[in-house]
Amino acid sequence: MRTRSAWRGAIIAIFLIYMLVPLLATLLFSFATRWDRTILPEGLSIQWWKAVMAKRAFGMTLRNSLALSLATMLASIILVAPTAYWTHLRLPKARPYVELFTILPFGIPGVVLALALIRCYARFGAAVVYSPAMLVAACMVISLPFMYRPVLNALNAADVKVLTEAAQSLGAGWFRTMTRVIVPNIMSGIASGALLVFSTVFVEFTLANLLVGARFKTFPMYLVEFTRFDGRQASALAVISFVFAWLASIGVLLAAGRSEGAREGAAGAK
Amino acid sequence: MSTRSTERRAPGARRLLLWLPLLPFFLFGILMEIIPILSVLLSSLRDSQGGLSLANYARAMTKINRESFMNSVRLSAITAALGVGIGSLAGYAIMQSRSLFFRKVATALADVATNFGGAPLAFAFIVTLGSTGIVTQLLKKAFGIALYPSFRVYSVSGLVLAYLYFQLPLMILLIQPSLRGLKEEWREAALNLGATEARYWAKVALPVLAPSLAGGFLLLFANSYGAYATAWTLTGPDINLVTIRIAALIRGEVQLEPGTADAMAVISLAIMSLCVLGSMLTNRLTQRWKS
Repeated sequence: MRTRSAWRGAIIAIFLIYMLVPLLATLLFSFATRWDRTILPEGLSIQWWKAVMAKRAFGMTLRNSLALSLATMLASIILVAPTAYWTHLRLPKARPYVELFTILPFGIPGVVLALALIRCYARFGAAVVYSPAMLVAACMVISLPFMYRPVLNALNAADVKVLTEAAQSLGAGWFRTMTRVIVPNIMSGIASGALLVFSTVFVEFTLANLLVGARFKTFPMYLVEFTRFDGRQASALAVISFVFAWLASIGVLLAAGRSEGAREGAAGAK
Repeated sequence: MSTRSTERRAPGARRLLLWLPLLPFFLFGILMEIIPILSVLLSSLRDSQGGLSLANYARAMTKINRESFMNSVRLSAITAALGVGIGSLAGYAIMQSRSLFFRKVATALADVATNFGGAPLAFAFIVTLGSTGIVTQLLKKAFGIALYPSFRVYSVSGLVLAYLYFQLPLMILLIQPSLRGLKEEWREAALNLGATEARYWAKVALPVLAPSLAGGFLLLFANSYGAYATAWTLTGPDINLVTIRIAALIRGEVQLEPGTADAMAVISLAIMSLCVLGSMLTNRLTQRWKS
Protein backbone atom coordinates (compact mmCIF):
# COMPACT_ATOMS: atom_id res chain seq x y z
CA MET A 1 0.00 0.00 0.00
CA ARG A 2 2.86 2.35 0.88
CA THR A 3 4.64 1.81 -2.45
CA ARG A 4 1.39 2.49 -4.31
CA SER A 5 0.85 5.86 -2.68
CA ALA A 6 4.54 6.64 -3.18
CA TRP A 7 4.43 6.32 -6.97
CA ARG A 8 1.17 8.24 -7.05
CA GLY A 9 2.74 11.07 -5.08
CA ALA A 10 5.79 11.02 -7.34
CA ILE A 11 3.86 11.17 -10.59
CA ILE A 12 1.60 13.95 -9.30
CA ALA A 13 4.66 15.91 -8.16
CA ILE A 14 6.33 15.50 -11.57
CA PHE A 15 3.13 16.53 -13.33
CA LEU A 16 2.71 19.67 -11.22
CA ILE A 17 6.38 20.67 -11.57
CA TYR A 18 6.17 20.17 -15.32
CA MET A 19 2.99 22.23 -15.60
CA LEU A 20 4.02 25.09 -13.32
CA VAL A 21 7.78 25.59 -13.80
CA PRO A 22 7.62 27.01 -17.37
CA LEU A 23 4.94 29.50 -16.29
CA LEU A 24 6.75 30.60 -13.14
CA ALA A 25 10.06 30.75 -15.01
CA THR A 26 8.60 33.06 -17.65
CA LEU A 27 7.03 35.27 -14.99
CA LEU A 28 10.26 35.57 -12.97
CA PHE A 29 12.33 36.08 -16.12
CA SER A 30 10.23 39.10 -17.09
CA PHE A 31 11.06 40.78 -13.76
CA ALA A 32 14.73 39.72 -13.51
CA THR A 33 17.53 42.20 -14.14
CA ARG A 34 20.23 39.72 -15.13
CA TRP A 35 19.93 35.97 -14.96
CA ASP A 36 22.50 34.21 -17.09
CA ARG A 37 25.34 33.88 -14.57
CA THR A 38 23.58 32.92 -11.34
CA ILE A 39 21.02 30.41 -10.13
CA LEU A 40 18.69 33.11 -8.85
CA PRO A 41 18.16 36.42 -10.64
CA GLU A 42 20.66 39.12 -9.68
CA GLY A 43 17.86 41.60 -9.05
CA LEU A 44 14.26 42.40 -9.78
CA SER A 45 12.89 45.30 -11.78
CA ILE A 46 10.01 46.31 -13.98
CA GLN A 47 12.24 47.79 -16.69
CA TRP A 48 11.33 45.17 -19.33
CA TRP A 49 7.64 45.69 -18.70
CA LYS A 50 8.04 49.45 -18.99
CA ALA A 51 10.08 49.12 -22.17
CA VAL A 52 7.66 46.76 -23.89
CA MET A 53 4.55 48.68 -22.91
CA ALA A 54 6.00 51.97 -24.10
CA LYS A 55 6.11 50.73 -27.69
CA ARG A 56 3.37 51.84 -30.03
CA ALA A 57 3.10 48.38 -31.57
CA PHE A 58 2.34 46.93 -28.14
CA GLY A 59 -0.96 48.80 -27.80
CA MET A 60 -1.79 48.29 -31.45
CA THR A 61 -1.29 44.53 -31.51
CA LEU A 62 -3.07 44.12 -28.17
CA ARG A 63 -6.03 46.10 -29.51
CA ASN A 64 -5.99 44.10 -32.76
CA SER A 65 -6.06 40.81 -30.88
CA LEU A 66 -8.78 41.96 -28.51
CA ALA A 67 -10.88 43.18 -31.45
CA LEU A 68 -10.32 39.93 -33.35
CA SER A 69 -11.21 37.78 -30.32
CA LEU A 70 -14.30 39.83 -29.45
CA ALA A 71 -15.55 39.91 -33.04
CA THR A 72 -15.10 36.15 -33.43
CA MET A 73 -16.76 35.55 -30.08
CA LEU A 74 -19.83 37.66 -30.89
CA ALA A 75 -20.19 36.26 -34.40
CA SER A 76 -19.89 32.70 -33.04
CA ILE A 77 -22.59 33.31 -30.45
CA ILE A 78 -24.94 34.77 -33.06
CA LEU A 79 -24.29 31.91 -35.49
CA VAL A 80 -24.15 28.94 -33.14
CA ALA A 81 -26.51 29.57 -30.22
CA PRO A 82 -29.73 29.96 -32.29
CA THR A 83 -28.68 27.02 -34.47
CA ALA A 84 -28.14 24.78 -31.45
CA TYR A 85 -31.45 25.90 -29.94
CA TRP A 86 -33.46 25.34 -33.09
CA THR A 87 -31.85 21.96 -33.80
CA HIS A 88 -32.41 20.83 -30.25
CA LEU A 89 -36.02 21.94 -30.00
CA ARG A 90 -37.59 21.83 -33.43
CA LEU A 91 -35.44 19.85 -35.80
CA PRO A 92 -33.56 16.96 -34.13
CA LYS A 93 -33.29 15.45 -37.62
CA ALA A 94 -30.76 18.14 -38.54
CA ARG A 95 -28.51 17.37 -35.61
CA PRO A 96 -26.09 14.98 -37.37
CA TYR A 97 -25.50 17.56 -40.11
CA VAL A 98 -24.94 20.37 -37.62
CA GLU A 99 -22.53 18.18 -35.65
CA LEU A 100 -20.65 17.24 -38.79
CA PHE A 101 -19.76 20.91 -39.33
CA THR A 102 -18.73 21.30 -35.69
CA ILE A 103 -16.50 18.19 -35.71
CA LEU A 104 -14.84 18.82 -39.10
CA PRO A 105 -12.58 21.60 -37.75
CA PHE A 106 -10.87 19.05 -35.48
CA GLY A 107 -9.62 17.33 -38.62
CA ILE A 108 -8.36 20.46 -40.37
CA PRO A 109 -4.89 21.71 -39.34
CA GLY A 110 -4.64 25.52 -39.21
CA VAL A 111 -2.15 25.69 -42.08
CA VAL A 112 -4.44 23.54 -44.25
CA LEU A 113 -7.44 25.75 -43.49
CA ALA A 114 -5.42 28.84 -44.43
CA LEU A 115 -4.27 27.20 -47.68
CA ALA A 116 -7.81 26.04 -48.53
CA LEU A 117 -9.26 29.51 -47.99
CA ILE A 118 -6.55 31.09 -50.13
CA ARG A 119 -7.10 28.56 -52.95
CA CYS A 120 -10.85 29.06 -52.78
CA TYR A 121 -11.17 32.83 -52.40
CA ALA A 122 -7.99 34.24 -53.96
CA ARG A 123 -9.94 34.67 -57.21
CA PHE A 124 -11.99 37.42 -55.53
CA GLY A 125 -8.82 39.40 -54.94
CA ALA A 126 -6.36 39.93 -52.13
CA ALA A 127 -8.71 42.44 -50.49
CA VAL A 128 -11.16 39.61 -49.82
CA VAL A 129 -8.99 36.64 -48.94
CA TYR A 130 -6.32 38.45 -46.93
CA SER A 131 -8.76 40.63 -44.97
CA PRO A 132 -9.42 40.78 -41.22
CA ALA A 133 -13.03 39.74 -41.99
CA MET A 134 -11.76 36.53 -43.57
CA LEU A 135 -9.57 36.00 -40.51
CA VAL A 136 -12.62 36.36 -38.24
CA ALA A 137 -14.51 33.79 -40.33
CA ALA A 138 -11.54 31.40 -40.27
CA CYS A 139 -11.22 31.80 -36.49
CA MET A 140 -14.93 31.03 -36.22
CA VAL A 141 -14.31 27.75 -38.05
CA ILE A 142 -11.60 26.56 -35.67
CA SER A 143 -13.66 27.60 -32.65
CA LEU A 144 -16.99 26.07 -33.79
CA PRO A 145 -16.51 22.97 -31.57
CA PHE A 146 -15.71 25.17 -28.56
CA MET A 147 -18.91 27.18 -29.01
CA TYR A 148 -21.30 24.37 -29.95
CA ARG A 149 -20.60 21.74 -27.25
CA PRO A 150 -21.14 23.92 -24.15
CA VAL A 151 -24.33 25.45 -25.60
CA LEU A 152 -25.67 22.00 -26.51
CA ASN A 153 -24.87 20.64 -23.04
CA ALA A 154 -26.60 23.61 -21.44
CA LEU A 155 -29.67 23.02 -23.67
CA ASN A 156 -29.73 19.37 -22.61
CA ALA A 157 -29.36 20.25 -18.95
CA ALA A 158 -32.03 22.97 -18.94
CA ASP A 159 -34.82 20.89 -20.49
CA VAL A 160 -35.54 23.67 -22.93
CA LYS A 161 -38.55 21.97 -24.47
CA VAL A 162 -40.53 22.02 -21.23
CA LEU A 163 -39.42 25.59 -20.51
CA THR A 164 -40.53 26.78 -23.94
CA GLU A 165 -43.92 25.08 -23.66
CA ALA A 166 -44.45 26.38 -20.14
CA ALA A 167 -43.60 29.94 -21.14
CA GLN A 168 -45.86 29.84 -24.16
CA SER A 169 -48.79 28.27 -22.35
CA LEU A 170 -48.50 31.11 -19.81
CA GLY A 171 -48.97 33.52 -22.69
CA ALA A 172 -45.41 34.64 -23.31
CA GLY A 173 -44.67 35.58 -26.89
CA TRP A 174 -41.69 34.32 -28.85
CA PHE A 175 -39.44 37.26 -27.93
CA ARG A 176 -40.34 37.13 -24.24
CA THR A 177 -39.77 33.37 -24.16
CA MET A 178 -36.31 33.81 -25.60
CA THR A 179 -35.11 36.76 -23.56
CA ARG A 180 -36.72 35.90 -20.22
CA VAL A 181 -36.66 32.10 -20.19
CA ILE A 182 -34.37 30.40 -22.69
CA VAL A 183 -31.33 32.66 -22.78
CA PRO A 184 -31.03 33.01 -18.98
CA ASN A 185 -31.28 29.23 -18.61
CA ILE A 186 -28.55 28.42 -21.11
CA MET A 187 -26.44 31.48 -20.26
CA SER A 188 -23.75 29.40 -18.51
CA GLY A 189 -23.27 27.36 -21.69
CA ILE A 190 -23.11 30.46 -23.88
CA ALA A 191 -20.64 32.08 -21.47
CA SER A 192 -18.41 28.98 -21.35
CA GLY A 193 -18.39 28.73 -25.13
CA ALA A 194 -17.77 32.44 -25.59
CA LEU A 195 -14.80 32.46 -23.20
CA LEU A 196 -13.31 29.37 -24.85
CA VAL A 197 -13.62 31.04 -28.24
CA PHE A 198 -12.05 34.19 -26.83
CA SER A 199 -9.04 32.41 -25.32
CA THR A 200 -8.51 30.24 -28.42
CA VAL A 201 -8.55 33.18 -30.79
CA PHE A 202 -6.47 35.42 -28.53
CA VAL A 203 -3.45 33.09 -28.78
CA GLU A 204 -4.14 32.04 -32.39
CA PHE A 205 -1.04 32.54 -34.53
CA THR A 206 -1.21 30.26 -37.58
CA LEU A 207 -4.26 31.71 -39.37
CA ALA A 208 -3.39 35.31 -38.53
CA ASN A 209 0.16 34.88 -39.75
CA LEU A 210 -0.77 33.15 -43.02
CA LEU A 211 -3.99 35.02 -43.88
CA VAL A 212 -3.31 38.65 -42.97
CA GLY A 213 0.39 38.69 -42.06
CA ALA A 214 1.87 42.11 -41.38
CA ARG A 215 -1.26 43.97 -42.55
CA PHE A 216 -3.06 43.20 -39.29
CA LYS A 217 -0.50 42.31 -36.69
CA THR A 218 -1.91 40.39 -33.73
CA PHE A 219 -0.46 39.99 -30.27
CA PRO A 220 0.90 36.45 -30.81
CA MET A 221 2.58 37.61 -34.05
CA TYR A 222 4.21 40.45 -32.12
CA LEU A 223 5.34 37.96 -29.47
CA VAL A 224 6.93 35.62 -32.02
CA GLU A 225 8.73 38.57 -33.59
CA PHE A 226 10.12 39.56 -30.17
CA THR A 227 11.33 36.07 -29.27
CA ARG A 228 13.78 36.39 -32.15
CA PHE A 229 15.55 39.52 -30.88
CA ASP A 230 14.65 40.42 -27.28
CA GLY A 231 13.85 37.55 -24.93
CA ARG A 232 13.37 39.76 -21.90
CA GLN A 233 10.60 41.83 -23.38
CA ALA A 234 9.14 38.77 -25.08
CA SER A 235 8.75 37.17 -21.65
CA ALA A 236 6.58 40.09 -20.53
CA LEU A 237 4.40 39.57 -23.63
CA ALA A 238 4.18 35.83 -22.92
CA VAL A 239 3.09 36.54 -19.34
CA ILE A 240 0.31 38.79 -20.65
CA SER A 241 -0.85 35.97 -22.98
CA PHE A 242 -0.83 33.51 -20.09
CA VAL A 243 -2.83 35.88 -17.88
CA PHE A 244 -5.49 36.26 -20.58
CA ALA A 245 -5.66 32.48 -21.08
CA TRP A 246 -5.91 31.88 -17.33
CA LEU A 247 -8.59 34.53 -16.81
CA ALA A 248 -10.69 33.11 -19.64
CA SER A 249 -10.22 29.55 -18.36
CA ILE A 250 -11.15 30.50 -14.81
CA GLY A 251 -14.24 32.19 -16.23
CA VAL A 252 -15.12 28.99 -18.10
CA LEU A 253 -14.70 26.91 -14.95
CA LEU A 254 -16.89 29.28 -12.96
CA ALA A 255 -19.58 29.30 -15.64
CA ALA A 256 -19.37 25.53 -16.10
CA GLY A 257 -19.49 25.01 -12.35
CA ARG A 258 -22.97 26.48 -12.42
CA SER A 259 -24.17 23.95 -14.94
CA GLU A 260 -22.20 20.76 -14.42
CA GLY A 261 -20.66 19.28 -17.51
CA ALA A 262 -21.09 22.24 -19.83
CA ARG A 263 -17.34 22.11 -20.37
CA GLU A 264 -17.31 18.48 -21.45
CA GLY A 265 -15.73 17.66 -24.76
CA ALA A 266 -14.43 21.15 -25.29
CA ALA A 267 -10.75 20.27 -25.29
CA GLY A 268 -8.48 19.88 -28.23
CA ALA A 269 -7.39 21.50 -31.47
CA LYS A 270 -4.03 23.19 -31.41
CA MET B 1 -58.53 22.55 -37.40
CA SER B 2 -57.77 25.14 -40.00
CA THR B 3 -54.03 25.11 -39.25
CA ARG B 4 -54.11 21.39 -39.65
CA SER B 5 -55.58 21.51 -43.09
CA THR B 6 -53.01 24.09 -44.23
CA GLU B 7 -50.36 21.77 -42.85
CA ARG B 8 -51.77 18.94 -44.83
CA ARG B 9 -52.03 20.99 -47.95
CA ALA B 10 -48.41 22.08 -47.95
CA PRO B 11 -46.35 19.74 -45.82
CA GLY B 12 -43.31 20.14 -48.03
CA ALA B 13 -43.27 23.93 -47.76
CA ARG B 14 -43.74 23.82 -43.99
CA ARG B 15 -40.96 21.34 -43.59
CA LEU B 16 -38.70 23.53 -45.67
CA LEU B 17 -39.60 26.54 -43.51
CA LEU B 18 -38.51 24.52 -40.49
CA TRP B 19 -35.01 24.30 -41.98
CA LEU B 20 -34.87 28.03 -42.74
CA PRO B 21 -33.41 29.14 -39.35
CA LEU B 22 -30.50 26.76 -39.89
CA LEU B 23 -29.66 28.31 -43.26
CA PRO B 24 -27.00 30.77 -41.99
CA PHE B 25 -25.15 28.03 -40.15
CA PHE B 26 -25.17 25.59 -43.06
CA LEU B 27 -24.22 28.35 -45.47
CA PHE B 28 -21.26 29.22 -43.24
CA GLY B 29 -20.19 25.59 -43.00
CA ILE B 30 -20.42 25.07 -46.76
CA LEU B 31 -18.63 28.31 -47.64
CA MET B 32 -15.91 28.04 -44.98
CA GLU B 33 -15.36 24.30 -44.69
CA ILE B 34 -16.73 22.22 -47.57
CA ILE B 35 -15.99 24.39 -50.60
CA PRO B 36 -12.46 25.41 -49.50
CA ILE B 37 -11.52 21.78 -48.83
CA LEU B 38 -12.99 20.70 -52.16
CA SER B 39 -11.08 23.43 -53.96
CA VAL B 40 -7.79 22.27 -52.41
CA LEU B 41 -8.64 18.70 -53.41
CA LEU B 42 -9.42 19.78 -56.98
CA SER B 43 -6.36 21.98 -57.39
CA SER B 44 -4.16 19.19 -55.99
CA LEU B 45 -5.29 17.04 -58.93
CA ARG B 46 -4.50 19.67 -61.58
CA ASP B 47 -1.22 20.34 -63.31
CA SER B 48 -0.08 23.84 -64.28
CA GLN B 49 -2.00 23.65 -67.59
CA GLY B 50 -5.22 22.74 -65.78
CA GLY B 51 -5.35 19.12 -66.86
CA LEU B 52 -5.98 16.20 -64.53
CA SER B 53 -2.73 14.82 -63.15
CA LEU B 54 -1.08 13.24 -60.16
CA ALA B 55 2.12 15.24 -60.64
CA ASN B 56 1.51 17.26 -57.48
CA TYR B 57 1.37 14.06 -55.45
CA ALA B 58 4.60 12.90 -57.01
CA ARG B 59 6.17 16.21 -55.99
CA ALA B 60 4.69 15.87 -52.50
CA MET B 61 6.66 12.65 -52.22
CA THR B 62 10.07 13.96 -53.22
CA LYS B 63 12.77 13.37 -50.64
CA ILE B 64 12.50 16.55 -48.58
CA ASN B 65 8.69 16.40 -48.49
CA ARG B 66 8.67 12.70 -47.69
CA GLU B 67 11.01 13.48 -44.80
CA SER B 68 8.62 16.12 -43.51
CA PHE B 69 5.80 13.55 -43.42
CA MET B 70 8.03 11.06 -41.63
CA ASN B 71 9.15 13.69 -39.11
CA SER B 72 5.58 14.82 -38.43
CA VAL B 73 4.32 11.27 -38.03
CA ARG B 74 7.23 10.34 -35.79
CA LEU B 75 6.84 13.44 -33.60
CA SER B 76 3.08 12.86 -33.35
CA ALA B 77 3.49 9.16 -32.52
CA ILE B 78 6.11 9.85 -29.83
CA THR B 79 4.17 12.67 -28.13
CA ALA B 80 0.90 10.72 -28.41
CA ALA B 81 2.44 7.55 -26.91
CA LEU B 82 4.13 9.47 -24.09
CA GLY B 83 0.97 11.52 -23.59
CA VAL B 84 -1.22 8.41 -23.35
CA GLY B 85 1.20 6.59 -21.03
CA ILE B 86 2.09 9.37 -18.62
CA GLY B 87 -1.27 11.11 -18.93
CA SER B 88 -3.21 7.96 -17.99
CA LEU B 89 -0.93 7.31 -14.99
CA ALA B 90 -1.24 10.92 -13.88
CA GLY B 91 -5.01 10.85 -14.45
CA TYR B 92 -5.25 7.69 -12.33
CA ALA B 93 -3.04 9.15 -9.60
CA ILE B 94 -5.14 12.33 -9.52
CA MET B 95 -8.38 10.36 -9.36
CA GLN B 96 -7.13 8.17 -6.51
CA SER B 97 -6.30 11.20 -4.42
CA ARG B 98 -8.45 11.41 -1.31
CA SER B 99 -8.73 15.18 -1.35
CA LEU B 100 -11.66 16.39 -3.42
CA PHE B 101 -10.12 19.87 -3.48
CA PHE B 102 -6.90 18.55 -5.01
CA ARG B 103 -8.79 16.53 -7.61
CA LYS B 104 -10.71 19.64 -8.64
CA VAL B 105 -7.61 21.86 -8.78
CA ALA B 106 -5.60 19.29 -10.76
CA THR B 107 -8.41 18.79 -13.27
CA ALA B 108 -8.83 22.55 -13.60
CA LEU B 109 -5.10 22.88 -14.25
CA ALA B 110 -5.32 20.22 -16.97
CA ASP B 111 -8.33 22.05 -18.39
CA VAL B 112 -6.44 25.31 -18.68
CA ALA B 113 -3.22 23.75 -19.95
CA THR B 114 -4.81 21.90 -22.89
CA ASN B 115 -5.81 25.25 -24.30
CA PHE B 116 -2.30 26.64 -23.96
CA GLY B 117 0.13 26.13 -26.73
CA GLY B 118 1.36 28.19 -29.57
CA ALA B 119 3.84 31.01 -29.31
CA PRO B 120 3.70 31.79 -25.55
CA LEU B 121 4.16 28.13 -24.64
CA ALA B 122 7.12 27.70 -26.96
CA PHE B 123 8.70 30.81 -25.52
CA ALA B 124 8.15 29.60 -21.95
CA PHE B 125 10.16 26.49 -22.85
CA ILE B 126 12.96 28.59 -24.30
CA VAL B 127 13.10 30.55 -21.02
CA THR B 128 13.08 27.33 -19.00
CA LEU B 129 15.25 24.96 -21.02
CA GLY B 130 17.01 27.15 -23.58
CA SER B 131 20.83 27.29 -23.66
CA THR B 132 20.81 29.95 -20.89
CA GLY B 133 17.41 28.83 -19.61
CA ILE B 134 16.54 28.91 -15.95
CA VAL B 135 16.37 25.15 -15.39
CA THR B 136 19.42 24.65 -17.60
CA GLN B 137 21.35 27.07 -15.33
CA LEU B 138 19.99 25.49 -12.18
CA LEU B 139 20.99 21.98 -13.23
CA LYS B 140 24.47 23.12 -14.23
CA LYS B 141 25.25 25.35 -11.25
CA ALA B 142 23.57 23.40 -8.47
CA PHE B 143 23.95 19.81 -9.62
CA GLY B 144 26.71 19.94 -12.20
CA ILE B 145 24.46 18.47 -14.90
CA ALA B 146 25.15 19.99 -18.31
CA LEU B 147 22.11 19.65 -20.59
CA TYR B 148 23.85 21.31 -23.53
CA PRO B 149 25.09 20.45 -26.09
CA SER B 150 23.60 16.91 -25.94
CA PHE B 151 20.09 18.35 -25.49
CA ARG B 152 18.72 21.34 -27.39
CA VAL B 153 15.30 22.83 -26.77
CA TYR B 154 15.26 24.11 -30.36
CA SER B 155 15.31 20.55 -31.71
CA VAL B 156 12.97 17.57 -31.91
CA SER B 157 13.55 16.67 -28.26
CA GLY B 158 12.56 20.23 -27.32
CA LEU B 159 9.44 19.92 -29.44
CA VAL B 160 8.51 16.66 -27.70
CA LEU B 161 8.79 18.36 -24.29
CA ALA B 162 6.80 21.40 -25.42
CA TYR B 163 4.06 19.35 -27.12
CA LEU B 164 3.67 17.18 -24.01
CA TYR B 165 2.66 20.35 -22.20
CA PHE B 166 -0.70 20.26 -24.01
CA GLN B 167 -0.79 16.50 -24.74
CA LEU B 168 -0.59 15.30 -21.10
CA PRO B 169 -3.47 17.43 -19.82
CA LEU B 170 -5.61 16.47 -22.82
CA MET B 171 -5.09 12.77 -22.04
CA ILE B 172 -5.88 13.35 -18.37
CA LEU B 173 -9.20 14.89 -19.40
CA LEU B 174 -9.94 12.18 -22.00
CA ILE B 175 -9.19 9.20 -19.73
CA GLN B 176 -11.02 10.41 -16.63
CA PRO B 177 -14.53 9.26 -17.59
CA SER B 178 -13.23 5.77 -18.42
CA LEU B 179 -11.24 5.54 -15.18
CA ARG B 180 -14.38 6.49 -13.29
CA GLY B 181 -16.14 3.65 -15.15
CA LEU B 182 -13.80 1.05 -13.62
CA LYS B 183 -16.01 -0.39 -10.92
CA GLU B 184 -14.48 -1.12 -7.55
CA GLU B 185 -16.53 -4.37 -7.42
CA TRP B 186 -14.60 -5.75 -10.39
CA ARG B 187 -11.34 -5.36 -8.57
CA GLU B 188 -12.76 -6.86 -5.38
CA ALA B 189 -14.24 -9.79 -7.30
CA ALA B 190 -10.94 -10.45 -9.07
CA LEU B 191 -8.91 -10.27 -5.86
CA ASN B 192 -11.43 -12.48 -4.01
CA LEU B 193 -11.13 -15.06 -6.75
CA GLY B 194 -7.40 -15.22 -6.14
CA ALA B 195 -6.09 -12.87 -8.83
CA THR B 196 -3.09 -10.68 -8.06
CA GLU B 197 -3.20 -6.92 -8.51
CA ALA B 198 -1.14 -7.25 -11.70
CA ARG B 199 -3.47 -9.92 -13.07
CA TYR B 200 -6.50 -7.74 -12.35
CA TRP B 201 -4.93 -4.94 -14.40
CA ALA B 202 -3.88 -7.24 -17.24
CA LYS B 203 -7.10 -9.21 -17.54
CA VAL B 204 -9.82 -6.78 -16.41
CA ALA B 205 -8.90 -3.12 -16.15
CA LEU B 206 -6.68 -2.68 -19.20
CA PRO B 207 -9.01 -4.51 -21.62
CA VAL B 208 -11.85 -2.27 -20.40
CA LEU B 209 -9.69 0.83 -20.82
CA ALA B 210 -8.19 -0.27 -24.15
CA PRO B 211 -10.67 1.52 -26.47
CA SER B 212 -10.26 4.78 -24.52
CA LEU B 213 -6.48 4.49 -24.62
CA ALA B 214 -6.56 3.85 -28.37
CA GLY B 215 -9.01 6.71 -28.95
CA GLY B 216 -6.87 8.98 -26.81
CA PHE B 217 -3.78 8.05 -28.81
CA LEU B 218 -5.52 8.95 -32.09
CA LEU B 219 -6.79 12.32 -30.81
CA LEU B 220 -3.37 13.20 -29.37
CA PHE B 221 -1.75 12.14 -32.63
CA ALA B 222 -4.02 14.48 -34.62
CA ASN B 223 -3.52 17.24 -32.06
CA SER B 224 0.23 17.09 -32.54
CA TYR B 225 0.21 16.52 -36.30
CA GLY B 226 -1.75 19.70 -36.98
CA ALA B 227 0.27 21.90 -34.59
CA TYR B 228 2.28 24.67 -36.20
CA ALA B 229 2.72 27.74 -33.99
CA THR B 230 4.61 25.95 -31.20
CA ALA B 231 7.06 24.35 -33.63
CA TRP B 232 7.53 27.56 -35.62
CA THR B 233 8.27 29.67 -32.52
CA LEU B 234 10.60 27.08 -30.99
CA THR B 235 12.58 25.94 -34.00
CA GLY B 236 11.75 28.24 -36.90
CA PRO B 237 12.30 26.70 -40.31
CA ASP B 238 15.08 24.42 -38.99
CA ILE B 239 12.80 21.47 -38.45
CA ASN B 240 11.18 19.85 -41.44
CA LEU B 241 7.54 19.21 -40.43
CA VAL B 242 4.55 18.98 -42.78
CA THR B 243 2.80 22.02 -41.30
CA ILE B 244 6.00 24.11 -41.44
CA ARG B 245 6.54 23.03 -45.04
CA ILE B 246 2.97 23.86 -46.14
CA ALA B 247 3.22 27.25 -44.43
CA ALA B 248 6.52 27.95 -46.21
CA LEU B 249 4.90 27.04 -49.54
CA ILE B 250 1.97 29.39 -48.79
CA ARG B 251 4.34 32.25 -48.02
CA GLY B 252 6.17 31.48 -51.23
CA GLU B 253 9.50 30.97 -49.46
CA VAL B 254 10.10 27.77 -51.35
CA GLN B 255 10.22 27.95 -55.13
CA LEU B 256 8.11 25.03 -56.19
CA GLU B 257 4.95 24.32 -58.08
CA PRO B 258 2.11 25.73 -55.94
CA GLY B 259 0.20 22.47 -56.33
CA THR B 260 2.69 20.69 -54.08
CA ALA B 261 1.25 22.39 -51.00
CA ASP B 262 -2.25 21.30 -52.10
CA ALA B 263 -1.23 17.65 -52.41
CA MET B 264 0.53 17.75 -49.02
CA ALA B 265 -2.56 19.36 -47.50
CA VAL B 266 -4.84 16.66 -48.92
CA ILE B 267 -2.61 13.88 -47.59
CA SER B 268 -2.61 15.62 -44.19
CA LEU B 269 -6.40 15.89 -44.26
CA ALA B 270 -6.61 12.16 -44.97
CA ILE B 271 -4.32 11.34 -42.03
CA MET B 272 -6.22 13.70 -39.71
CA SER B 273 -9.66 12.40 -40.68
CA LEU B 274 -8.55 8.79 -40.16
CA CYS B 275 -7.48 9.78 -36.63
CA VAL B 276 -10.70 11.64 -35.83
CA LEU B 277 -12.93 8.91 -37.33
CA GLY B 278 -10.94 6.22 -35.52
CA SER B 279 -11.32 7.99 -32.20
CA MET B 280 -15.08 8.33 -32.75
CA LEU B 281 -15.22 4.59 -33.39
CA THR B 282 -13.34 3.75 -30.19
CA ASN B 283 -15.65 6.15 -28.39
CA ARG B 284 -18.56 4.00 -29.48
CA LEU B 285 -16.79 0.87 -28.18
CA THR B 286 -16.29 2.61 -24.83
CA GLN B 287 -20.03 3.19 -24.49
CA ARG B 288 -20.49 -0.58 -24.02
CA TRP B 289 -19.04 -0.46 -20.50
CA LYS B 290 -21.09 2.48 -19.35
CA SER B 291 -24.27 0.91 -18.12
